[in-house]
Amino acid sequence: MPGVENCLQEAMAIPGAIGASIVDYTTGFPVATTGAAPNEDHDAAAAGTADVVQAAQSRSLFVSAVPHDLLEDLIITTAGGYHLLRLVQTDFDSRLVLYVWLDRIRGNLAVARRRMQILAEELVAT
Amino acid sequence: MKPSKTAAPGRLLTQAAGERQTGALVVGGHPGGTVYLIEGQVTYAESAAAPGVGELLTASGRLAARTWQAALDAGTSRAQVGRILLDHGHLTQGELELCVLGATYDAAYFALSPASAPVDFLDGATHWLGPIVRVDPAAVTREARRRARLLDEIYPHPQLDTAAVIPVPRPPVERVTITAAQWELLVHADGQRTPADLAQLLGRAGYATIQELRRLAALGLIELPAARERDSDNPDLVRLPRARGTAVDVRRPALSPGDGPTVPIVTGPRPAPASGDPPGPAAETDPATMHAPRLARRKPGAKLPKEVAADTGQMHTGTDEVLLKRIRTALRALR
Repeated sequence: MPGVENCLQEAMAIPGAIGASIVDYTTGFPVATTGAAPNEDHDAAAAGTADVVQAAQSRSLFVSAVPHDLLEDLIITTAGGYHLLRLVQTDFDSRLVLYVWLDRIRGNLAVARRRMQILAEELVAT
Repeated sequence: MKPSKTAAPGRLLTQAAGERQTGALVVGGHPGGTVYLIEGQVTYAESAAAPGVGELLTASGRLAARTWQAALDAGTSRAQVGRILLDHGHLTQGELELCVLGATYDAAYFALSPASAPVDFLDGATHWLGPIVRVDPAAVTREARRRARLLDEIYPHPQLDTAAVIPVPRPPVERVTITAAQWELLVHADGQRTPADLAQLLGRAGYATIQELRRLAALGLIELPAARERDSDNPDLVRLPRARGTAVDVRRPALSPGDGPTVPIVTGPRPAPASGDPPGPAAETDPATMHAPRLARRKPGAKLPKEVAADTGQMHTGTDEVLLKRIRTALRALR
């Protein structure tokens, strides 16, 4: 029975993970957090996460280029790390995103992406 | 129970949390709400303006109404509704936690945002959902304040949050771009429904609904309530859905037979009946017509509210007249 805490613990087990959180992207609020955050500030990281997701979802045309197309994840690459944002699709009304911050050297983007997909699905699948 | 006093709900929550109390902080007023604490930690919150866990799960089709009702029937008295849903495999732990967290922060915004309101603390009261999550009260109050600020950054007109939503008849520009959520709101705004009504109807978070409505107002796609108030002496159309099942049902007054229907009543000279009007007494014999305005919107399969179920045999004379007036008021508002 993976709960929210459990999901974040497993996210931290991804090679190179520095921090993880689940963020409500309508309000930019970190629903749950673990590990470190950029600038030691989970609240600011959540607000930034929300801005990025909203920009991708509402202000860009490629998300809705094909009927029933859906935003799945976003990857921001910096010199020092990867910031992975995976949307958590719940049946009930929510706007949640799983955020993992990876170290650039230790992290493996493909592995992390795959693991996050599984985590986000397991979190809400029966 | 201590008598109700007027205070800042957020401050009282902090105080109750500091004393590690268990119970329910009941905030009166409109929309009001209740925040539940166990040993000083917030476990749940509910408000008339925010759909609860049950509404969110059934309106989205995640749970069938009868599944939810069965869990309520079995778990309400033992405060284990959440536990039962998990044990029966209807929901995963993650889903339920996320749903409860979302509903709690949503309702807490409405309960805690008034600067001052009548507040009660019910010692020892617990919610029928049972403890699913525990949240730091300081985080809840901080988030409620932050959300109020976010709304004002979008479009600083708080009167939009409670007034009936009226789409403008014609967009102010040639071309508008709206999101799916905004479309849904505009399609369901019938000139009578308040943001709280729309949130309940669509099973969407109350705060997210208000956020989209403020954005729509900023785009000029829904009317500002202030503009409407000036040109009419009509009664206020602000209407909240009635209180739903709560563990601590202290806000709902006992309904006496003399109570009128909960619709705005026009106190002006009565218009002369038009020739096409149906005769009054004929409509009075129809029980459906009698009770229509008094029923809050319910989920399919949900039980009738107690007070309605109890007095189905009772006739309120003149209800059809009130209903007609209400329709007239609604039409006028649409003009």
